[in-house]
Amino acid sequence: MPQPIFECRSASVTLALGSGPRPIISGVNLEVRDAEFLSIVGPSGTGKTTLLRVLGGLLQPTNGEVLIKGRVMTGPPEDVVIVFQDYGNALLQWRTVTENVAFGIERKLSRAECAERTNDALSLVGLLKRAGDYPWQLSGGMQQRVQIARALAVRPAVMLMDEPFAALDAMTKAGLQDELLRLRDRTRTSFVFITHDIEEAIYLGDRVAVLNGSPGRIDEVIPIELPGPRDQIRTRALPEFLSYRYRLHGAIGHG
Amino acid sequence: MDSRRTTASVNWPGLSVFALVLAAWEAAVRSGTIAFEFLPAPSAILAGAVELARDGILLRDLLHTLLSIAIGWTIAMIVGVVVGLLLGFSPLARRYGLASIEVLRPMPGIAFAPLGLLLFGFSLQTELVVTVLPTVWPVMINTMGGIANAPPRLTDVGRTFRLGSYEIVRYLLLPSALPSIIVGARISLGLALVMAIVAEIVGNPEGLGYGIVREQQALHPEFMFAYIAVVGLLGVILNAGVLAITKALWPWTAPRQPA
Amino acid sequence: MKPSAKLAALGRMAWQLPSPRGLLPLVAALVLWQVLQTGNSPYFPPPSAWWNGLVQIAAAGKLLAACIATLKTIVAGLALAILAGIVLGVLIGTSSRAARALGPLLEFCRAMPPPAIVPLAILFLGYDERMKLTIVALSAMWPILLNTSSAIQHIHPLLLDVSTSFHLSPFDRIRLIIVPSVVPAILLGVRIALPLTIVLTLLVEILTSIEGVGALMITAQRNFQSGQVYGLLVLVGLFGFVINNAFSIVQAVILRRWPPRSVQA
Repeated sequence: MPQPIFECRSASVTLALGSGPRPIISGVNLEVRDAEFLSIVGPSGTGKTTLLRVLGGLLQPTNGEVLIKGRVMTGPPEDVVIVFQDYGNALLQWRTVTENVAFGIERKLSRAECAERTNDALSLVGLLKRAGDYPWQLSGGMQQRVQIARALAVRPAVMLMDEPFAALDAMTKAGLQDELLRLRDRTRTSFVFITHDIEEAIYLGDRVAVLNGSPGRIDEVIPIELPGPRDQIRTRALPEFLSYRYRLHGAIGHG
Repeated sequence: MDSRRTTASVNWPGLSVFALVLAAWEAAVRSGTIAFEFLPAPSAILAGAVELARDGILLRDLLHTLLSIAIGWTIAMIVGVVVGLLLGFSPLARRYGLASIEVLRPMPGIAFAPLGLLLFGFSLQTELVVTVLPTVWPVMINTMGGIANAPPRLTDVGRTFRLGSYEIVRYLLLPSALPSIIVGARISLGLALVMAIVAEIVGNPEGLGYGIVREQQALHPEFMFAYIAVVGLLGVILNAGVLAITKALWPWTAPRQPA
Repeated sequence: MKPSAKLAALGRMAWQLPSPRGLLPLVAALVLWQVLQTGNSPYFPPPSAWWNGLVQIAAAGKLLAACIATLKTIVAGLALAILAGIVLGVLIGTSSRAARALGPLLEFCRAMPPPAIVPLAILFLGYDERMKLTIVALSAMWPILLNTSSAIQHIHPLLLDVSTSFHLSPFDRIRLIIVPSVVPAILLGVRIALPLTIVLTLLVEILTSIEGVGALMITAQRNFQSGQVYGLLVLVGLFGFVINNAFSIVQAVILRRWPPRSVQA
């Protein structure tokens, strides 16, 4: 088995609150392989956001460690990018779409390279036509695509996504889910996708990890084997899909 | 538990910086490091304030300014709320009135001081001219805004429950506009204080504002500083007072702390 | 956008006035005043006398010089206030320790009504242009400083996460994220500071007769030239109106990039 590109070893986070120390997550073990799509699913209150902040280097675990490409993380690493749920506040509303997408790379690359990568990212998400507009002129789904393009421009090894489609309507969500799968195929990036939507987790993931309990732990990791290219109607109607759904519902119900 | 929380919530670093600045000021003047003839030590200012209070001069001036503010603010509130309500409820009134208001509003109140002096000489009326005219606007604009910007759902709710126009106004629109009107009232009060002081500095030789100028011209910096401090304190007290009263009368209008 | 479309948009922004029919009451009042004022009342001269008053001052060669002097103070004072307000506002807003330590001191300074400080400034700095500029700049600085620091303290935490996530240096963080996100708040502070600069400039001129429109006003009042007093009043009103609208246009141009907010009356 090739070395995992992204690893979380026995990570725990305990926060010191007014009422005393509160463990948020405890003993979390995770592995993400190259070009893999890992879904993390769990109900609210299990520390999903905390886990994401730990994986993204925004929070140091109280115990345990996170490794990216075999190196221990001490801060936000170069190869990992976060896509947040609240696109309104995660994008820079005073910059055009192009300027937003360039944000992660403009200080590191030459102007020509930067422009090239920005255009690539924008065409990957299908927003070249709106390159000169401002985020507040775009719909929610489009703004989220801008955030994804911003992450893609950095060419990260791992893209962390914190319930990115939770604030969007069902149809936009479905479209973006398929777009995400296309992006994974074309760019070979690994994805860690956090969601509370079990069906979304199964539809997108190569494996689904269940975050459960308080403090949150990874109870089990279920490999998803579904035939053929994923399709919103057909895949979701397959008996295998339904059996994964039952399994995950049961897994989350406890703990 | 409660006393521990209150001690923790007191801004110790802030207060100590404040106290430090005062102490340094005092030390600098006493030791002669700062020998500026017009900069008195904080202790001298305090002594000056006490002396003024004892002689009753401070009280007399304070009362005059308070009277000026009270009358001016009341007139401004009445005119502002009445006209504001008219403008808020009547799009016709807005169409034929807003442009004039937009032209008159930027007029600086101070500019009326020479006019006031011309018409009324050195008297309370001059102060009122300078105080009322600029203070009408915040109340008027905020009252108009409170009514005109009421969420449209509100009238829908009223009509769903089959309320008549009068009831919609009294039970839905006015309470919904109240927070905005209160903000306008507070801004107006602060402005009334400032304009009263301005009028007293430039025109009517009475009140706290005149006290500042009088002591400045008499070269009594400690008294002058004392008057300035009282003015500042008055502003804080007036604002806190309005907040407290409105919170007691209409608790739901108090500004909300983010959860 | 095509240049002609841009010009049209700018024109729409420039026409800040609500329906021009709203000027009717004002015009009607002026006309009535002119018509009803037949005698030579020293206290309520008709609008024609106001015009004559202004012409008188202009004929004596004093009007233009006074207007320029007042305008110079307003512009220079505002510029200094903006500079100081933003720099100090950023400093206080980004350092929570500084904010806490300077908190009561700032609240104290904020509570001081600027006009009350004018006699103090006169005492310390004397009767000259420099004093005028100092007091105007120092007082107008506060709304800008407070708005800036408050807005920085209330920046959405997600924006700070984004800056950490993309490895921004502290300097880049201030330059690329913090300052741009508070530009609307800074402009709001400037908008509040603008009438303050006008009021204070006039106040100093009225009090000390340093050259300016205010000085003209108080001279006219002392000489019982009521027509001049009214005329200058209208002039000052015009000043305020033009300056405010000019600022609104500048504000709208600067804020093209920012999401539109609900406009208050």
